[in-house]
Amino acid sequence: MAVFVGTVSPDGVPAGCRAIAVTSPDQLKTVTVYLPMATSRDVVANVAATKRLAIVGTYPPDHSTMQLKGTTTGVRLASDDEAEFVHYRLEKFADILHAIGIPRRVTRGINHWPAFAIDMKVEEIFEQTPGPNAGNPIR
Amino acid sequence: MTRLADISRCFQGVIPSVVVTSDGRGIPNVTYVSQVYLIDEKHVALSCQFFNKTRRNLDENPRAWVELHDPLTMQTWRMRIRFLHSEKSGPLFDAMSMRIQAIASHTGMAGIFKLIAADVFEVESLEKNEGFLSEAAVDTSEQTSLDGVRSEVRGLQYISEQINRADCLEKLLEAVLESLDQYFGFEHTMILLVDDCTKRLVTMASRGYGESGVGAEVAPGDGLIGTVARERKVLRISGLSAELRYGRTVAREHGTPAAEVPLPGLADAQSALVMPLLIGDRLVGVIAADDRDPLHFGEWDEAYLHVIANQIALSVDRITASDDDDDAPVISVAAAPRSDNRRTFTFYANDDCVFIDDEYLIRNVPGRILWKLLGEFQRDGRTEFSNRELRLDQSLGLPAIKDNLESRLILLRKRLDEKCPDVRIVPTGRGKFALQVGAAVELVER
Repeated sequence: MAVFVGTVSPDGVPAGCRAIAVTSPDQLKTVTVYLPMATSRDVVANVAATKRLAIVGTYPPDHSTMQLKGTTTGVRLASDDEAEFVHYRLEKFADILHAIGIPRRVTRGINHWPAFAIDMKVEEIFEQTPGPNAGNPIR
Repeated sequence: MTRLADISRCFQGVIPSVVVTSDGRGIPNVTYVSQVYLIDEKHVALSCQFFNKTRRNLDENPRAWVELHDPLTMQTWRMRIRFLHSEKSGPLFDAMSMRIQAIASHTGMAGIFKLIAADVFEVESLEKNEGFLSEAAVDTSEQTSLDGVRSEVRGLQYISEQINRADCLEKLLEAVLESLDQYFGFEHTMILLVDDCTKRLVTMASRGYGESGVGAEVAPGDGLIGTVARERKVLRISGLSAELRYGRTVAREHGTPAAEVPLPGLADAQSALVMPLLIGDRLVGVIAADDRDPLHFGEWDEAYLHVIANQIALSVDRITASDDDDDAPVISVAAAPRSDNRRTFTFYANDDCVFIDDEYLIRNVPGRILWKLLGEFQRDGRTEFSNRELRLDQSLGLPAIKDNLESRLILLRKRLDEKCPDVRIVPTGRGKFALQVGAAVELVER
């Protein structure tokens, strides 16, 4: 799954970042999203200030997409115990893109470690697959 | 400092771009956008199709953030932009809408996938997303060397000469497609000309597709080629495969009836360059090329093909306007070799359609011409004919002006070559031709 996050600064300037992995222990009541430290400076700064976060997950072969919105509850450096999971998700992402013609070596070239882990309480979930139901709330 | 023009590949739509906006309460929203259109060094436009939330956010907070992907290196670029206004008509809207219309029509989604507005933004900043790739992205783009330019100019000169020398439409079209392959690397190409009777485009020549598809028809507005014909504008598309695969699957699942002659084309095309052949505002035809490389056609190719397309249009007009010459010498041609074959031609008068041994051959004016020729051959043994007498025969229904007789005869000749080589039409001089029949022929009218 392709994962992307969006934030906004206190003075209303949006910023985003590609995430490498997202996981939920409780059926999407809360999630943890992993962002490469190399490219997430603005996003982390915005989250620290506003606590607002949007996460979009897309399955590229059929464009099925979902957006989660909520309030962050913590930002931390991902631990070594989480490294294997992050590497694994990048590999799975490489498999998906490989199936639609993007070589695995290209996807593996995306910087993904070290990473920040952002915990978020999910408040809204939206359908976002292109089509007539895009934007409809799921929860 | 990087200029927008330096990252033009990012604007070809091969990899969707990501847009982040925020509402008035500071709640962010993320969406993908199919088209980021480069207007000039300070402005871009985003296609507004489905993303209503983004649209509402922009009314509350005009600032947005976009991440663009280079489809060759995967390097990403980040833009901060500020919304200025929406355009729902005009040249910018038309340019952005045409790509969406073409894909929608090609995939059977016309009227569903459409451009609502072209949202215009001022670009406040552009920066490379440093650190996105763990290794330095290797720029594999081709640099335009002087040798490359010289080769293309030589190619242009060669094609121009071929066009200028061509004394018949068939030679003209074949020479152009061969030269485009040889000098510009356009391996998969076709030329369609307008039939003034039906107002449809008819495939007259193709190269690099296996089946020639000569005779395949396209209605104005239908698919990439029909959209170019209707809009009379150039269409250059990258990253086609996903959308077209989806559309073809839908068409197959819905059991869309097969065309009498399938249009040639690569099933796995990733890019296309389609250009109208125009004289002033009058559409003569369309030239189309596609390729499996998503970035095969650049602005450079578009510029060259534009020059060539103009020359083709003028030459098609010149050749088709003056193909009568009663005083021209008749060239004798060898008689067709006789075979023991027996071929049955069936003419369906209701729709001017001719079948050969139960297989579709040709319809409309070329079908009526064939029926006339075969009838006179069978009744009187005639084999020599002229364009002039066809023009004078009102039963054929040729229009009084711009009858495109030459192109109709080429179409008939090529269809016979493919489906019934026992019967041939052979040019014997300017405005003259012979019917060669090498088999026993039965004519049936229904």
